[in-house]
Amino acid sequence: MAIETSNECMTVAQAQSLLQNGVDCRGVSDDPPRFQAGDRVRAKVMHPITYTRLPRYVRGKTGTIAKVNGVYVFPDTVGQRLATKPQYVYSVRFAAQELWGPEASPRDCLYIDLFDDHLDAT
Amino acid sequence: MNGPHDMGGMQGMGPIPIEPDEPVFHSEWEAKVFAMSFATFCNFFPVDETRHASERMPPGDYLNSAYYERWLYALELLLTEHNLVTPAEIEHRIAELAQGE
Amino acid sequence: MAHTHRPESEIALRVKAIESLLVEKGIVDPATLDTIIEAYEHQIGPHNGARIVAKAWVDADYKQRLLADGTSAIAELGLTGFSSEHMVVVENTPQVHNLIVCTLCSCYPWAILGLPPTWYKSFAYRSRAVIEPRKVLQEFGLAIPDEVEIRVWDSNADLRYLVLPERPQDTEDLSEAALAGLVTRNAMIGTAKVQPPAPPSTLAA
Repeated sequence: MAIETSNECMTVAQAQSLLQNGVDCRGVSDDPPRFQAGDRVRAKVMHPITYTRLPRYVRGKTGTIAKVNGVYVFPDTVGQRLATKPQYVYSVRFAAQELWGPEASPRDCLYIDLFDDHLDAT
Repeated sequence: MNGPHDMGGMQGMGPIPIEPDEPVFHSEWEAKVFAMSFATFCNFFPVDETRHASERMPPGDYLNSAYYERWLYALELLLTEHNLVTPAEIEHRIAELAQGE
Repeated sequence: MAHTHRPESEIALRVKAIESLLVEKGIVDPATLDTIIEAYEHQIGPHNGARIVAKAWVDADYKQRLLADGTSAIAELGLTGFSSEHMVVVENTPQVHNLIVCTLCSCYPWAILGLPPTWYKSFAYRSRAVIEPRKVLQEFGLAIPDEVEIRVWDSNADLRYLVLPERPQDTEDLSEAALAGLVTRNAMIGTAKVQPPAPPSTLAA
């Protein structure tokens, strides 16, 4: 399952193609998304000693799914060359006060893209 | 990992350093570090592996370094971990170049 | 935070040593390095994003497509590229002000805005934009009234964000190209508003 690389020297043409086209990070999943826009979710409390794109400041906090962004490869495992583990990514909205307490503006909010493996249903 | 890179909400980092008319790169070495990293993206290292490599910089060093110093750290870490270049080769080449200058 | 804590000459020497080893071992090609540097120094930059914004200002259908699916709408203009593969465009209005950050590293839509400025990559911006966006915006000279909602977007995954700023008043007569000339990088990150053009000087030369 480990992610292998070609270990080939990048040619000028390859660099131009990468600059122009980038890298498609989308993946495929046979499953429907676990959550829909409007669902309440909680970011997991977890402290992996390895790579994760789930920042501490949202862990354990409750937010709302704003949008289902589609299926993407999972950076937390790709970063360790373990597996692409494609899964849904959701734009999750957190109230500023949920994250920072009553001192924060009651109007403001934060949006962050979280993966299925980062989220629990409430 | 709970490293210094995970800085959302940290305090005491001071004012935002706004630099008018900033160049894309501030020196040749910055441009070279960027280009060497870009040229190894995908072909040698998945981009997320390079992000993780910079997060593995010791916390004190991370917080005391400039952006492209962290890229340099990540590049060097991955090159040596994957046995593409050895630390001894790097030190030897530095000594050679220093002598030639 | 652009300053290093080691002498620059020491770092430059180290980089030179690594470069010479990588070239010698056939891991990097010097011509490829030149291509990459040339692209980001001279071809890719905020003028790409400004074209997108100006088109959205003059073409309501395009704006709708841009907000619904940023990736496809931006691809219509041929402005695809590395670190802008999956784009989300968020609109500033009199009620909502959007601000983009990446707290974990410095993710940024490179193909649309070029490489990020030092302030975007700074520890101060990465740490503070999420917890005190209003104070951060004040440092950019932008006072956002309390009744306006601030939405901060932490681009931690593979999606990249672009702010569609408000079109300034009194610009009805401007061409799309002239409008693009008003749009600044910071306005597309959310740390500035687009200013109307300076009134023509009344003094003859």
